[in-house]
Amino acid sequence: MQSILAVDDSPSMRKMVSFTLTGAGYHVVEAVDGQDAYEKAMNYPIDLVLADQNMPRLDGIGLTRKLREHPKFKVIPILILTTESSDQMKQAGRAAGATGWLVKPFNPSRLIEVIKKVMP
Amino acid sequence: MTVALKSQKGPYVQVPLMLAAELQDSLMVVMHDLHRLEALVSHASDNLLERFCEANELITDTLVSDTPELAKARNALRAAVTELQFQDMASQLIWHTTKVLQSCAFQLGAEVMALEEDEEGAPMNDLAPDRPNPVTQSEMDAGSVDLF
Repeated sequence: MQSILAVDDSPSMRKMVSFTLTGAGYHVVEAVDGQDAYEKAMNYPIDLVLADQNMPRLDGIGLTRKLREHPKFKVIPILILTTESSDQMKQAGRAAGATGWLVKPFNPSRLIEVIKKVMP
Repeated sequence: MTVALKSQKGPYVQVPLMLAAELQDSLMVVMHDLHRLEALVSHASDNLLERFCEANELITDTLVSDTPELAKARNALRAAVTELQFQDMASQLIWHTTKVLQSCAFQLGAEVMALEEDEEGAPMNDLAPDRPNPVTQSEMDAGSVDLF
């Protein structure tokens, strides 16, 4: 079973993401912010990271940058799922090494489609 | 009594002290109401999610015989996931609006009420949001997807 690291500081968002991903047959590891996600990413086998942008301690772009520095996360897809929709933020995400930028709220079927498309 | 509200770039305006104080009070009341609104939304969302998960467990129970109606109910629940993200967006909107109001209230206070000799002014830069409101959506339609 493929594992997805779902990162969001909002418990309701984590619940919605987990509900969608587990329903589609993925194993979900939850993290409450970027720092927690980085620590979990180092300790669990992860196939994809789905991270919020605005979080305390470490944001989604910061997490992406930090993960991309690690050999284990050079090619693993990292998707940012956020309310931020400005081109400037998207470009910052892209420059940090994100695979894609999804604006909230997400549609569950569309989210699964995107994950299947980018997941190796 | 009137006080001068100083703008760093433009001309001064004179407002009665009582009016400035009332404005500041009103801003504080609105901020307090926004906190209550956030608590209400959060509480409602928690309960809604709990019931949502309960309903999902009931209809995905393998002991329940599969019917077309049940499949429709499952799809309806799945579709509701988009709308159930309202709490996250609402709380970000409320947080940002509160920061703007807080900054206005403290700025008004700092301009109108003279500080005591040993009193430190409120750190305005920490109070004002450092960037525009991240939530630009006005509907709960699914957002865009960009793959790089």
